[in-house]
Amino acid sequence: MSQMERRAFMKGAAGGALAFTVGGIEVLLTPAAARAQGVPLRTLTAAQAATLEALGETLVPGARQAGIAHFVDQQISIPADEALLEARILNVRPPYANFYRAALAAVDRASQALNSGRNFAQVGEAEQRSLVDSMRQNKIEGWQGPGGPFVYLLLRSDAVDVVYGTMDGYAGLGIPYMPHIAPTKRW
Amino acid sequence: MANEKVDVVIVGAGASGSTYAAVLAKAGKKVVVLEQGPDWQLSDLISSDFWGRRVKPAGAPFLLEGKNPVSYGYQGGWGVGGAALHYFANFPRLLPNDFRIKSEHNRAHDWPISYQDVAPYYDKVARDVGVSGDAKAEEIWRPAGDPYPMPPMKTFRNGQIWLKGFESVGIRMVPAAVGMNSTEYKGRPACIYDGWCHVGCPIGALANPLVTYLADARKAGAEVRPWSSVTRVLTNAQGTKVTGVEYYDQKKERQVQEASVVVLAAWAAQNPRLLLNSSTDKHPKGLANTNGLVGKYMMTHFSSGTLAIFDENVENHMGTTGAQYMSYERYGKTAHKGAFGSSFIVAGTALKTSDLGGFANARLDLFGPELTAFMKRAARGFSRIGAFGEEMPNIENRIELASDKDEFGMPLGRIIHSYDDDVPKLWEANFAEGLAIAKAAGAKEMWSGRGNIPTIHLMGGTIMGTGAENSVVNSYGQTHEIPNLYMAGPGIFATSGASNPTYTIFALSLRGAEQLATKWSTIAG
Repeated sequence: MSQMERRAFMKGAAGGALAFTVGGIEVLLTPAAARAQGVPLRTLTAAQAATLEALGETLVPGARQAGIAHFVDQQISIPADEALLEARILNVRPPYANFYRAALAAVDRASQALNSGRNFAQVGEAEQRSLVDSMRQNKIEGWQGPGGPFVYLLLRSDAVDVVYGTMDGYAGLGIPYMPHIAPTKRW
Repeated sequence: MANEKVDVVIVGAGASGSTYAAVLAKAGKKVVVLEQGPDWQLSDLISSDFWGRRVKPAGAPFLLEGKNPVSYGYQGGWGVGGAALHYFANFPRLLPNDFRIKSEHNRAHDWPISYQDVAPYYDKVARDVGVSGDAKAEEIWRPAGDPYPMPPMKTFRNGQIWLKGFESVGIRMVPAAVGMNSTEYKGRPACIYDGWCHVGCPIGALANPLVTYLADARKAGAEVRPWSSVTRVLTNAQGTKVTGVEYYDQKKERQVQEASVVVLAAWAAQNPRLLLNSSTDKHPKGLANTNGLVGKYMMTHFSSGTLAIFDENVENHMGTTGAQYMSYERYGKTAHKGAFGSSFIVAGTALKTSDLGGFANARLDLFGPELTAFMKRAARGFSRIGAFGEEMPNIENRIELASDKDEFGMPLGRIIHSYDDDVPKLWEANFAEGLAIAKAAGAKEMWSGRGNIPTIHLMGGTIMGTGAENSVVNSYGQTHEIPNLYMAGPGIFATSGASNPTYTIFALSLRGAEQLATKWSTIAG
């Protein structure tokens, strides 16, 4: 990395935060803090973020408050070779925003078909769990979009990242984090 | 833009490219290493699963097809150090039976060399980069060699707890050979067992290229140019010699680097892509591809993971991402009745919560409150063992050029891969034995890590052989058609064995580089 890139990278990583834009100024925040402060989304629409938060919370309790929507939104708004998403590991073809848009649309389409026209975020917990369980097993008739089991795998991984992949997540499970180079602010 | 001609240009700064660079720079050659990604430093290696994804593949994607598409995102590299910047550093070697499958079983093909040809280089690599283990203990399965320079690594309860189970089925486990420091070695510190190997070891206790061969190469004068995307290998008008490479720099400007010798060490998939994209009127099917074998015989490993929860705190956060124990007890090609191929067994790995290898993925069927409950149980008592399996080479598993192009106009690579009928049989046999081991070990819950059959460790594509009738390169990685063009890395493996490949990558690269240095005037002249 160039010295300039390294400084920027280390500032973000060691600062335990991602770069969010607030009032036209780039600031470093954890996704949870970005959500709490109501940082505007850059790529996802409000409706997509609502679906993502509801889906994340269904998959991994705590994902909403941990900022899954702000995490994904920030990550799909930067160059793909800087992204920290599991999508990178699972060979999703960039730009990653295309996958998330298609996946969230597929979830809402399935929810509308199953729940009298209501989006995923608008239905009850039991209906949300039922849809996710069917999606996981590729059992939703008329599913349109990236494969249901793959959407389950990838979105579940994102939710696990923000809930269990942080220093706070390790502390919550009672596991020593033991970093060589620590992300600070418990991110 | 043309640069000053050098002796050798090496494409890729991972395990194989770094080894070539070190040997040739120390031999006094002017060496330039072109690396597609960033110039990572140890201080970039943050202990975090998601920050660790920064060192995983980026750039032009490969298109993945076939019944068992190759998954390369977790194991591939991006930037200086390549995949070896974040590998697990398990250092099993291939065994003598890997080199003669055709002779002994009339399957696949023999290597053009024997184990004894490679063994001295295993020993030399161990001294160069630092290996911990018990070579004497391994001699129940392989010929004697030199002792490893460091004693075995520490073991922890998450590994020890399995030993009773292995014993019950007659599998002898020995200390795992790993490219890690159990003691201080060559000025590099001993491991502190915090389990972050898989995102890169920033203290240099793990033998990544930044602290081993690439450091040696730089010290000897090799120049490393990051953000350099090579698109073509260039030849003379007659097509008899390569003359250098074309690449694009960080400003996306075209450059030419002339050299007397070209070494492609860009990974098993990228090397064929480059050869196929370097066609000329003299090489209409691509360089070194008159026989049509470039890109063919792609191979992977697959693993049968047995997962368990024990009724005690196994401290699964302790240790390394590599193994504590290993065994070749099922390495015979017919060790499992009704199946064919070697299996290599490991036990005792440190675990994290997230990412592909994290224990949140140990029960992919769970979500919601059930996942929350599982995470709490697993944090205390979860552990796993694994058996890597061998895939036989199949000419239909291949790399091709696609019609889609990358930002430099170079066609994307398409990897087509399907397992044959042998693979599920071996996969199942190792699952069955794994559950028996878990039961005998006293696990409270146990299950097989199923799903799609995984694809691990991409190999082949420019395989070695006795001549142009059966292969792309000779045993040194030198192409049969163009003597000053070398291939390096797992692409030259003739068969895959079941052992993690990086130790063999280092050994074969050292062997090829020393041959090139020794016969320099003949080859480069």
